[in-house]
Amino acid sequence: MDPVQAPGVYEGVANVIAAVMLLLEFGMLRQALARDQIRLYMAQSALLSVLAIVIAADRNLPDLYALAALSAGLKVVAVPLVMRRLLGRAVPDEEEPAGVAGSHTLSPASAVLASIVLAAIGFFCFGALGIRNPAAPTLALALAAAMVLVAFGLMIIRRDVASQAIGFFTLENAISLAALVVASGLPLILETAFLFDLLVAVVVFGMLIRAHHTKAESLSTADLTRLRG
Amino acid sequence: MSAALPVPVIQLLQVLTVALGAPGVTGVIARVEARLQGRRGPRVLQPYYDLAKLFRKEALAPEGASWFFLAAPLIAVAAYLTIPLLIPVLTTYGLPLGYMGDILGGGFLLSLASFVIATAALETRDPYAQLGSSRAKTFSAITEPVVLFVVFTVALLTGTDLPYALAATVRSSAGQVIRPGHLLAAAALFMVILHETGRIPVETHTGTNEFGMIEEARAFEHSGPYFALLKWGSELKQLILYTILANVFLAPWGLASTQQVGAVILAIAALLAKACAVGCAVAVIDNSFAKLRLFKITEYVSAAFLIAVLGVFTLYLGGG
Repeated sequence: MDPVQAPGVYEGVANVIAAVMLLLEFGMLRQALARDQIRLYMAQSALLSVLAIVIAADRNLPDLYALAALSAGLKVVAVPLVMRRLLGRAVPDEEEPAGVAGSHTLSPASAVLASIVLAAIGFFCFGALGIRNPAAPTLALALAAAMVLVAFGLMIIRRDVASQAIGFFTLENAISLAALVVASGLPLILETAFLFDLLVAVVVFGMLIRAHHTKAESLSTADLTRLRG
Repeated sequence: MSAALPVPVIQLLQVLTVALGAPGVTGVIARVEARLQGRRGPRVLQPYYDLAKLFRKEALAPEGASWFFLAAPLIAVAAYLTIPLLIPVLTTYGLPLGYMGDILGGGFLLSLASFVIATAALETRDPYAQLGSSRAKTFSAITEPVVLFVVFTVALLTGTDLPYALAATVRSSAGQVIRPGHLLAAAALFMVILHETGRIPVETHTGTNEFGMIEEARAFEHSGPYFALLKWGSELKQLILYTILANVFLAPWGLASTQQVGAVILAIAALLAKACAVGCAVAVIDNSFAKLRLFKITEYVSAAFLIAVLGVFTLYLGGG
């Protein structure tokens, strides 16, 4: 059997960052507290900015430095701040919002196994596409696809509004990751427009969390399964 | 320093380095851990004194225990002393006996040692020793898949499953070090090593609370030289696992590439230094985390499994 050839150092670094982002996604699946999930989201977004800097240095695209700064400002500072304030308002006395800690529908070990299967589907689908192009590294793309599926998994497995919002935001991270590795030369204005999509999502989810909390007095979505006339 | 050592002597030195260095590494870790907790701690040579004392003591066996109870520590230590022949302890080139077995061969020897100790613990009919061996076997059954996936990663990286080949691959270029497949496999192996050496977050290796014990409980009924062999065996196992992590995965530098006396001495010093560095990292982890509850250990192992599986995935697509 032939050994798998090693990629260059830059591609290796990019792939490692993508792999760690996927691992953080798995970490969110396991976290019981909403504030830990937000912390992991911050770490993941910070890694995305680092990846943008690595690609900017590798392919000599100065635009990407600006994008990295903008994305860090938005996703590492602004969005977590808004999320914390929203969850803080939902439960006044610094307590954990009800419904986040016990919102697992599967045991952590089975959730990890189920997500490994999801990630495998994402991986092998992209492998089957047979993209062999130096401009689009298959591995980072496949990792992004796996991240998208695991983010969906997170939104399905956890039954609380906060996790679902975080799942949705990480979905955006995964898509940004794919965009970065495939189309890093995209004009800055387009990339910024994508970032502002996230703001819309934050506003919508913020409204949802508040509306749901005032109506149901909990962040759990378990009571939404019952039909009401 | 131009004298060249004959190959059999280097081969013997590999075993001797591990055999004599293991208690010292344990002593260094205990010392570092004590300093981290603000204690003065035992002297670094304490494990040697402990072993010397135990070897002088009388040996007793529980009533009804068969010859196997006394043979098990000997078999275990023999297995542990065979493994240094198979892995790159001092040299970058394979020594004549180095190709007797591959990574799986080393894994089999480790499992054999653990199996005979567990069986001897069953012989005693002591509830705590039996509890320990039952737990040790249960948890080693769930860490086994992680180890298998790490071996798959090695196979995908090198096309073989020889530890020497992986060390050479890692040394060959920076691109080999930074690739995700290699880093993920090393991380998974490190988590397994924490589990196998009975460290937090899996088990507290100090203290006498039997309910949290896994590996430690198995030696309860052994005494005198036999207990010394078990203690020495677990120190050997620790140094062997650290050697595999450092010399095969993380830092296969500083090994002797010639048969010169100087290079070999340098390699011995480098190995012990690397093992102590890994030990310090383990001591820091030991002091910063709480022990997991027994039934949470599956979550820890499933995290290690996830990392190992991702390593194989990234390599499967090529370019990982």
